[in-house]
Amino acid sequence: MRRSGVAGLLLAALLALPAVAAEPKLLPPEEAFRFSARALDENTIEARFAVATGYYLYRDKMRFAVTPEAAALAAPQLPAGKSKEDQFFGKVETYRGDVVVKLAIRGGAAGQSVVLAADSQGCADQGVCYPPTIQKVTLVLPAAGKGPGPLVDAFPPKKRWFN
Amino acid sequence: MGNAWLRWALVVGAALAALGGGLYFGLGQRTEAPAPAAATGLMGLALPDPTGKEQRIDQWKGKVIVVNFWATWCAPCREEMPEFVKAQTEYGSKGLQFVGIAVDQADKVAQFEKEIGLNYPSLVGGFGAMELSKTLGNKLMALPFTVIVDRQGAIVHTQLGVLKPEKLAQVVKQFL
Repeated sequence: MRRSGVAGLLLAALLALPAVAAEPKLLPPEEAFRFSARALDENTIEARFAVATGYYLYRDKMRFAVTPEAAALAAPQLPAGKSKEDQFFGKVETYRGDVVVKLAIRGGAAGQSVVLAADSQGCADQGVCYPPTIQKVTLVLPAAGKGPGPLVDAFPPKKRWFN
Repeated sequence: MGNAWLRWALVVGAALAALGGGLYFGLGQRTEAPAPAAATGLMGLALPDPTGKEQRIDQWKGKVIVVNFWATWCAPCREEMPEFVKAQTEYGSKGLQFVGIAVDQADKVAQFEKEIGLNYPSLVGGFGAMELSKTLGNKLMALPFTVIVDRQGAIVHTQLGVLKPEKLAQVVKQFL
């Protein structure tokens, strides 16, 4: 009788597990909207968002800034997003998958180190939105003819035990 | 001998049950069971309403309080709020009180209140409100996030994402 009580307890513990699978899992914003960038040359930075499946970013919430300000970032040409009619916001454009934005720097110098800050806001299809998030990378502007610098991740992926 | 086995089995069983519970809260929606201190923090909170007048959450103590963290820039938040307006009408006289905490600017909150005819107070929390919601189990600081507090001031339910009318009714009816 008492043993069946123990068995019941174990069963209850095991039954609690399937409930986990039924609940939605969400990524932290820096993983849902993975930001990276590289300097193509002393005047151009290529910024990238890798938007995870099931997540999207709002085009009109995307902003970029560089420091030092003397590097003078020009107003970015954002690619067209996917247009959707939002019940509340009217016509909005969203990004899914990979988003690549070329940024022109007017006052950069070869060898100069700049910090690029990307401000973005997005949501998950599960019906959850993240507040505006700022992600930063530090880049060194390469000299002309040297080829692009390395791609720098704002939040390098954590090492995983099992791949 | 038999007793020793039973004791171990009980300990392991209890640990597994605790683990199950921990996983449920820890992984489920990335919300964790809030500590009792978090409930005290929420009840003792004072935030301005859109007119700038300070409002304390504990002024509604003794009622079942539904605290909803939201923002005008959050589409799912805007989507679920008309349902909260209906629920406030339906259960208000039975002792249910909705309170919004907007992670937003006062003018935008005031405008949206008018737009949907909000029939419960919404306070203006700014991004500090996000930090507060984190202590209540909103680890990812995402919206909407809703906390239900019983008449004694204890947190009885937390929800990340849209709180469906059926789920709301099911939880609230137990405590009204």
